[in-house]
Amino acid sequence: MTSITLSTIHRADGSATFTGNGYAVIATVNGPIDVQRRDELPEEAAIDVTVRPAGGVGGVRERHLESIVQKTLRHVVLVSAHPRTLIQVTLQIVASQEDHLNYGSLPQTSPYIPILPALLQASILALLSASIPLLMTLTSTLIAVKESGGLAPCPSAQDLRAATSIHALAFSSYGDLLVVESEGHFTSEKWEEVCTRAWSICHGEEEEESGSDDVSMGSQGGARLENVLRDAVRQKVVNEDKWKQSPLITAT
Amino acid sequence: MASQKIVLPGETIGSDVLPIPSNPNLPLKLGPGLRHAPPSTITATIAGPLCIDQKKNAIWVESNSGRYIPQPNDLIIATVHHSSTDFYSCSITPYTTYAQLPQLAFEGATKKTRPQLNSGSLIYARVLTASKHTDPEIVCYNPSTGKSEGMGELKGGMVFDVSMGMARRLLMAKQREDGGVAVLEEIAEKVAFEIAVGRNGKVWVKSGGVKETLLVGRALQEADVLGLTVEEQVKLVRKMIR
Repeated sequence: MTSITLSTIHRADGSATFTGNGYAVIATVNGPIDVQRRDELPEEAAIDVTVRPAGGVGGVRERHLESIVQKTLRHVVLVSAHPRTLIQVTLQIVASQEDHLNYGSLPQTSPYIPILPALLQASILALLSASIPLLMTLTSTLIAVKESGGLAPCPSAQDLRAATSIHALAFSSYGDLLVVESEGHFTSEKWEEVCTRAWSICHGEEEEESGSDDVSMGSQGGARLENVLRDAVRQKVVNEDKWKQSPLITAT
Repeated sequence: MASQKIVLPGETIGSDVLPIPSNPNLPLKLGPGLRHAPPSTITATIAGPLCIDQKKNAIWVESNSGRYIPQPNDLIIATVHHSSTDFYSCSITPYTTYAQLPQLAFEGATKKTRPQLNSGSLIYARVLTASKHTDPEIVCYNPSTGKSEGMGELKGGMVFDVSMGMARRLLMAKQREDGGVAVLEEIAEKVAFEIAVGRNGKVWVKSGGVKETLLVGRALQEADVLGLTVEEQVKLVRKMIR
């Protein structure tokens, strides 16, 4: 369901395409490059995030998403490794579920939370592809709470519309909660439940299929997001090491 | 390097993975992509295969992509951007700070006889100093011997972009055995050409005509992008020369 390709854009220093849950995002990273004087930080790299919507120009929603992604990446990237430079992250949304949802004519009125996990995942993959030194990796997921009280991981457009609350969560590779954005009505107990579920999607062991009231659980496939990340990197390494398969090399 | 372990940023390298030195006095060398947090924690900062050299007691993470970060003693191909009284400002990678090339850092250069470089000219140089806090400094001669050793202005020819991994392979002492590059040797049997490889992913080629120059450059790029093995490279060159 989720598909990842690393280094899709060859003119950028690093790039990745992330497709999953009805969203597709192309991320590119350029850096470390020269920074404008006013953005320069004397002891760390500045991170600049640009989010471009699938259609039209970005508005308030995109600026808000940029600021969330930027604040997250600042703690993920080893900014002290390249002081007085800029790491530029560009996120182009290619497909989004909102296309199928009718929230009115203004795109700004659609919620910003559903796209956030895809943006975070795509940006971390592009950073990996650009070999930017990182302190950790992150994995992110979206969970909707249904009216019945059940959880819907990776909700579809219909699930989102019917949901009482939606939550986007991101965890670091150490298992710590990095980002949480929630919208709707929910109790703190429900939030705890959502958080535990999200953690197990991102990090937890392959747990028993407990989703009694989950329809979309099957499509999840049970693969931990962290493993998906590792597989993408492994695939890239295999592609780069293709030339080594020569018998001449293995003989020596 | 039998088992290729892939690491992701933030992963700790356990002490059981570290190479065991033959001589206990030999310090452990940490290469690119690894970070040491005192007292004894080693974590990866980039994603890639973990490589270990038992003989040199070294450990590093290989990476083929990303932007070139200047390191001392690297040979690079740079473009002169502008000149000031004492220095030429040269660009090593696009959109980064310019590297400083002293105007007298050439073989046998004095105040009176020094090479005049215009903006846009290519130079083959060595990185003298590079640190994250200062602009890199490059020179076109070996400071210990005073000889140019092939460095200096590159006149004529063309520059081709290759990946960082390809540049590293081309600069290996035994190109065919260690680097798995047979393109140049194969072409050299039929066509005469000059080549300079920069660690920053640039290859300069000069030969009799445009056709031959393009042949060398395109063959290298193709072998790089498609990840061709030695046999496939030989086949490719035969096809291109025909």
